Amino acid sequence: MFYLQQIINGISQGSIYALTAVGYAIILGIVNIPSFVHGDVMMVGAFAGYYSVLLFPHNILLVFIIVFAASWFLGIIVDMVCYKRFRNSPRQVMLICTVGFSIFLKSSAQVTFGTQQKLIPNILGTNFFALGEIRITYVQIFIVSVVIFTVFLLQILLFRTKIGLSVRAVSMHKRASALVGINVNQAMKFGTCLGCALGGIAGILLGIYYNAVHPLMGGNAAMKAFISVIFGGINIPGAALGGLLLGIFENMGVAFFGSGYRDIIGYVILIVVLLIKPSGLLGRKENEIKI
Amino acid sequence: MSKFKYLKNLLIRGKSHLTLGFLLVTLLLFPLLVKSQFITRVVINILIYIVLASSMNIINGFGGMFSIGHAGFYCVGAYTAAILSTRFGWSFWILLPLSGVMAGIVSFLLLGFPALRLRGLYFAMVTLGFSEVIRLIVLNWITLTRGPMGIPGIPFPTFFGNSIIYNWQFYYIILGIVVLMLFIIRRVLNSRIGRAWISIREDETAASAMGVEVFRYRLMNLFFATFWAGVAGCFYAFYARYISADSFTLDEGFSILAMVIVGGQGSFIGPILGSILLLTLTEIFRGIAQYRLIVFGLAILIVMHLRPGGIASIKLSNIQEIKQKLSVRQDK
Repeated sequence: MFYLQQIINGISQGSIYALTAVGYAIILGIVNIPSFVHGDVMMVGAFAGYYSVLLFPHNILLVFIIVFAASWFLGIIVDMVCYKRFRNSPRQVMLICTVGFSIFLKSSAQVTFGTQQKLIPNILGTNFFALGEIRITYVQIFIVSVVIFTVFLLQILLFRTKIGLSVRAVSMHKRASALVGINVNQAMKFGTCLGCALGGIAGILLGIYYNAVHPLMGGNAAMKAFISVIFGGINIPGAALGGLLLGIFENMGVAFFGSGYRDIIGYVILIVVLLIKPSGLLGRKENEIKI
Repeated sequence: MSKFKYLKNLLIRGKSHLTLGFLLVTLLLFPLLVKSQFITRVVINILIYIVLASSMNIINGFGGMFSIGHAGFYCVGAYTAAILSTRFGWSFWILLPLSGVMAGIVSFLLLGFPALRLRGLYFAMVTLGFSEVIRLIVLNWITLTRGPMGIPGIPFPTFFGNSIIYNWQFYYIILGIVVLMLFIIRRVLNSRIGRAWISIREDETAASAMGVEVFRYRLMNLFFATFWAGVAGCFYAFYARYISADSFTLDEGFSILAMVIVGGQGSFIGPILGSILLLTLTEIFRGIAQYRLIVFGLAILIVMHLRPGGIASIKLSNIQEIKQKLSVRQDK
């Protein structure tokens, strides 16, 4: 029973990881470097969510739209600052730009929002379903359904529209997609913004799950997203699967070893996967990143 | 004509030797000229980061690998020194090389196999993972490391019976370490080993065709670089007299990486310039404590936008451009 409860907690936490990881996978596929600014995009999204919950406490849909817009806008800035100018430079330049921008965002947030954590008002209450000894809270159900709905919309966007097609093409091969007439710069910008917007939504979900937002909340979550992407493979189904599995493994691991070892599990998975199958569970060989 | 050229060369070399000598004398006289404790501490901090950044540059700039997790080996060095000195009372001067060797051995065991198998960003991710794993193990292995409480009360090092207490004494030690390290790096880079590293960096296949044992030289490179990180860790432990796992987070590794890349990866002088620039800038804004890190982030972004190859390496970026034009392989 206890382990079943852990699996349920793992699924709800893993679905947040999965949403972050899907956004991360889009960015990783497009720019080919791990982005260290993603955690701070999540943080900004969470703060946008926090303030809009205070403004519109009864309209959750509006809150999510505001979060989406704010992190989309941040995505434009991220693209401008970190990626746009350095597409032909060595890769580590982009990487260090994301690190610099991340430090900048994190410390600006600490200055503007303060270093204390802020409590998100409890919109959904603390009710839960009880099935025997297992408890499923409304928050968990809400989070899982938001994630499923968002991934469903994303699937339509990427597979049914023209801009989605161009994003997928660019993440496969830049030069070839330029040859067939895709505006590579525009597609890369769109992909970055989309990834950041998904990150922002994952950020506010994380805030709702833990009932609090603070300026340093993003770093750890973004590392988890990064691990999930590597675990599952750099494509959308892979990232989602990796996120879910990581969430379940972590909660099972906490049940077995104690909560101090929660973060080690993720990093051990990262190292083992990279050594055994660097392309990830669902990744293909040719999708590996080259430096 | 040739005589004139010879004279000119002599003059240029003499001039650079003169500048170097002048710099060294200034650095030696520094504690006599500046009495401020604050400035001395800042300079010691800069010198520690010069050791870290230069050693990371050996992996990233000369070895052709991409490491992010230098903070992990810094941590290994610091904890080796702290544990052995507080529990067994070992001397600073023995621990200085010993913690370097310890960090080297850890890197050997952890990164040896990945260095054989992985390239580029995948290797970088493994180093990142190991850096965090080391920190988390230190945080959780309470019987050995006291976990989150850290290790306080590391004894003062002694020098011929005299305790080293003052900042200026520590300044001379770290200055000695920096000068020794730069000298050794310079000699190694100009030797067979250094040339082998650079040939591997430029083209691995060609290097192995010329008879360079790629794996062996990679391991040597890792060991050499992490050795100096361990030495820096040992010095830090004795200098700060208190260490905890919080000093060795991923952000620490990112700061070292930032110093390397902002200064100019793959150039000898680059990491030195990078650490001086970034640390001086942040120390200037120390007065308004909260804005310090904002300045750090902004400085990285501005330098990268103005000069993507780093402050010191105009040549490197040219080489990269030519390489990119020549090879279709790199394009994805």
